[in-house]
Amino acid sequence: MSHQLSRRQMLHLATASAAGFGLAACGGGGSGTDTAGADGDSGKITVWSWTSAAEALRGVVPSFERDNPDITVEIQDVGEPAIWDKITVGLASGGKGLADVLHIGVDYLPGYLAKFPEGIADLSRLGADKHKDAFVEGLWPTVIGKDRAVHALPWEVNPLGLFYRHDFFEKADVDPASISSWDDLIAAGPKIRAATGAQLIGLDKPGTTQDMDFFQNLMQLQGAFYFDQEGKVTLASPEAIKALTVIKRLNDGGLLADTAGQGTWKRLISQGKLATAPEAAWAVGYMAEKFPAQSGKWRVMQPPAAVPGGGRSVIVNSTYLAVSNTSKRRKAAWRFIEHALTKPAEINRMYSSGSVFPALKAAYADPMFNAPHPFYGGQRVLKSLVDSLSSGSEATNFTSDYSRALKLASDAQSQVLLKGADPAGALKAAAAQLAQQTGRQQAA
Amino acid sequence: MSLAPPEPARTTGTVAATTNGGAGTPPGRRATPRPGRARPGRRRLLTRDSVPYLLIMPAVLGFAIFKAYPIAASFWISLTTGNGDARQFTGLANYRRLIDDPLFWTALKNTALILVVQVPLMLGLALLVALGLNSTKVWLRPLWRLGVFVPSLTGLVAAGVMFSVILNRDAGLLNWVLSFFGIDPVNWLGSPFWARVGVVLVITWHYTGYNAVMYLAGLQGIPKELYEAAMVDGAGPVRRFFSITLPQMRPILLLTVVLSTIGTLQLFDEPYVLTGGGPDNATLTVTMYLYNNGFKYFDFGYASALAYALALIVSVLGILQVRLMGERR
Repeated sequence: MSHQLSRRQMLHLATASAAGFGLAACGGGGSGTDTAGADGDSGKITVWSWTSAAEALRGVVPSFERDNPDITVEIQDVGEPAIWDKITVGLASGGKGLADVLHIGVDYLPGYLAKFPEGIADLSRLGADKHKDAFVEGLWPTVIGKDRAVHALPWEVNPLGLFYRHDFFEKADVDPASISSWDDLIAAGPKIRAATGAQLIGLDKPGTTQDMDFFQNLMQLQGAFYFDQEGKVTLASPEAIKALTVIKRLNDGGLLADTAGQGTWKRLISQGKLATAPEAAWAVGYMAEKFPAQSGKWRVMQPPAAVPGGGRSVIVNSTYLAVSNTSKRRKAAWRFIEHALTKPAEINRMYSSGSVFPALKAAYADPMFNAPHPFYGGQRVLKSLVDSLSSGSEATNFTSDYSRALKLASDAQSQVLLKGADPAGALKAAAAQLAQQTGRQQAA
Repeated sequence: MSLAPPEPARTTGTVAATTNGGAGTPPGRRATPRPGRARPGRRRLLTRDSVPYLLIMPAVLGFAIFKAYPIAASFWISLTTGNGDARQFTGLANYRRLIDDPLFWTALKNTALILVVQVPLMLGLALLVALGLNSTKVWLRPLWRLGVFVPSLTGLVAAGVMFSVILNRDAGLLNWVLSFFGIDPVNWLGSPFWARVGVVLVITWHYTGYNAVMYLAGLQGIPKELYEAAMVDGAGPVRRFFSITLPQMRPILLLTVVLSTIGTLQLFDEPYVLTGGGPDNATLTVTMYLYNNGFKYFDFGYASALAYALALIVSVLGILQVRLMGERR
C-alpha cells in the first residue's frame, strides 16, 4: 500500500488524544466471555475499509444481497490511516466495537495476528483453505497465523513497475530497453538530467512519512527483507547494504530529488522534474487521473534489478479482508468475503471502480488486463504488471515487528542522505537496535 | 496557591435548628425547630456544608469512571508484558528497559530542548502582545485581539499541515519571502536543526495568542490606583512595569508557565504532522514515542511505562515551578 504508507504522516488523531494515560483502556484484562463472537449467518454485517476501496466494495453489495437475501451489508469508509488506529484499539480492548469485516494491509496483518491471537477469526474453520491456490504466489503465507489457520483472504496485490517519461528518455537518447539494472539507470541519469533538467526519482530524504518502499523494493529484488523467513533480523545483510548504497549513489550523483512535505512529489511530477517513478500497480490509474496533461508521455517497464542480472519482479504490498473474532455473524461475514474476493466478475468490478489491483489470478483473464492504455501511449501496461507477477515472487516475511524495523530503517536512510553516514555502519546500528528492541536474533 | 480565594468564615450546618438564636436570628425572636426539618442526631443531605460537595460530584464521578480507572489500569499494564489479553507480570522490567533505551532519552532531550527554548520565547512574546492589546492607543482593539487569538482556534493537525506547506523548502511561502532578502532556501523539514526550529515556530504561532489573552485578562485586573499612585511618586513606565505589572501578574504568569510546561511535555500533534519525529529523530517527542510503542508496535506495557515516566516528570516540574514562582505566604 504505497498509497497508504505514503499518506501515513496524516495524524491518527482519534487515538492520539487517547495516548498517555488513556492507554489503559487498551490491552486491559478483558475476560473474553462477553466478547466472544458467534457464527450467525444472517442479519446485518458491517465492513470497515477506506476511500476508493470502500467505494469499490459498495459495488459488490447488490449482487451479494441478491444471492444472500438473509444478509444485509453496510460498508463504512473509516478513512486511512484512521482505520489502523480503530482496528488496533478495538483488538486491544478485546474486540469490542470492531466491524464484522476488516480491510487490513500486509504491514499490519502479521502484527495483528501475532499480538492479538484471539482477535481475528479462524477462516479455515469456515472453509477458506480451498482458495489457497487461487491467489498470486507469495501472499498466502501472510494470512496464516501461529495456529497455522487462515485468517484473511487476499484482495489487493501491488506489483512494482518503473514508470518513466518516455519523452525524456528519447530526448536524452537513452534506450529504455538498455536499462536492466539500477547501475544502468544511474549511469544514464546524468544524460537525462543534462537533456531535460529532470532528476531520476524523488524520495522523502528526512523520512517524515517513513515511506521506505523504495529501499524495501531494492532489498526484495534481491530476495531479502528486514527479516528472513525464520524471523531473524537481516537489516544489516549484504542485500540491505547494497540497497542503501544504490540510494546513496543516486543521492551523491544529484539524481535524487527530496520529496519531503505535503504534495511535493506530485508537484515535481507535474512540473516534469522527475524522469522516473518506481511505483506499485495502483499508480497506473492514479497517474492517468492526476496528470492528464502528461498523457502519452509515460511508459512502464519492469523495475531494474538491484544488482546486474538480478530479479526484476517485486510485490510492493498487498491488502486483505478478515473477520473480527467477536463478530456475532462470522459465517455471514465470511460469505461476503468469499463472494467479493473469489469471483473474477466481482473483483474486476472493484478494480474498475477503485483501482484495487486484484490478487485473484483468475481475474487476469479479463480483456481489460490486455488492453492498450492511452495515457501510456497505447502500451499494454496492466499486462506487463500481471506478467511480472507470474514470474514469481517469494513471500516477504513482514513479521509482527515490521513497524519497528520500518522506523529504524527510515532513520538509517536519513542518516545516510542527510549526514553522509556510511550505509553499512548505519544499517548495522539499526539492526542491532532492532534485535535489542524485539528480542529477535540477528541472522549470521 | 495565591489563586485560591480566601476561606469563607465557617458556619454550622444547622442554623435553622439552633435554639439560642444563631447569627441569622433576629434579636427577640426565638428560633424553634419546625416539624419535618432536621432533628438532632440526623444529618440532612442538603446543608451549607454539603452543597459544594454536591456541586463537584458530577466532575468527581466523571473522574472516577473515566480517569481513575484508566490511570490505575495503565499502571498495572506498565508492570506487564504480553499479547492481547494474555499479560504476564514483569515487575519493573519496562521501567528498566526505559532507562536503557536511547530513543527514550533522545525524545526526552528533544522535548526538554523545545521546553527550554520555546516556552520562555512564547510567553515573553505573549506578554508583549498583551501589553500592546491593553494599550488604549491601539486603534480597533477588538479586531487585533481577535486576530491574535484566532491561531489557537485552528485545529492542531490543520496547523501542522499548513506549516508543512509554508515550510516546504522548494515551494514554501517562508523560503519565498526569505528569497526577497537574498537568503538562500532553508531546508526547514530536512535538517535536524531547522526541523526543531520549524516545530518551535508552529507551537509559538499556535499558542502565543492563547497566552496573550490570559495575560490581557490579568492586566485588566490590576487596579488603576496602583499606577496612579506610582505616577504621582514619579515612577516611569519601566519602573511601573517591573514594580507593579509583573508582581501583580504573578499568579497568571505562574498559571501560563505551568500550563505551557505540561502542554510542551505532551507535545504530539504538530511534530507528528510536520516531521513525523524526523529527520533522524530530531523532533521525536516523548508522547510520540509513547504513541508509536502503543499503537504502531502494539507494545502497551512499554507505552504505559512511558506514560508513567512522563506523568512523573510533569508532576515534578509542576511542583518545582509552583514552589519557585508561587507567592510566599
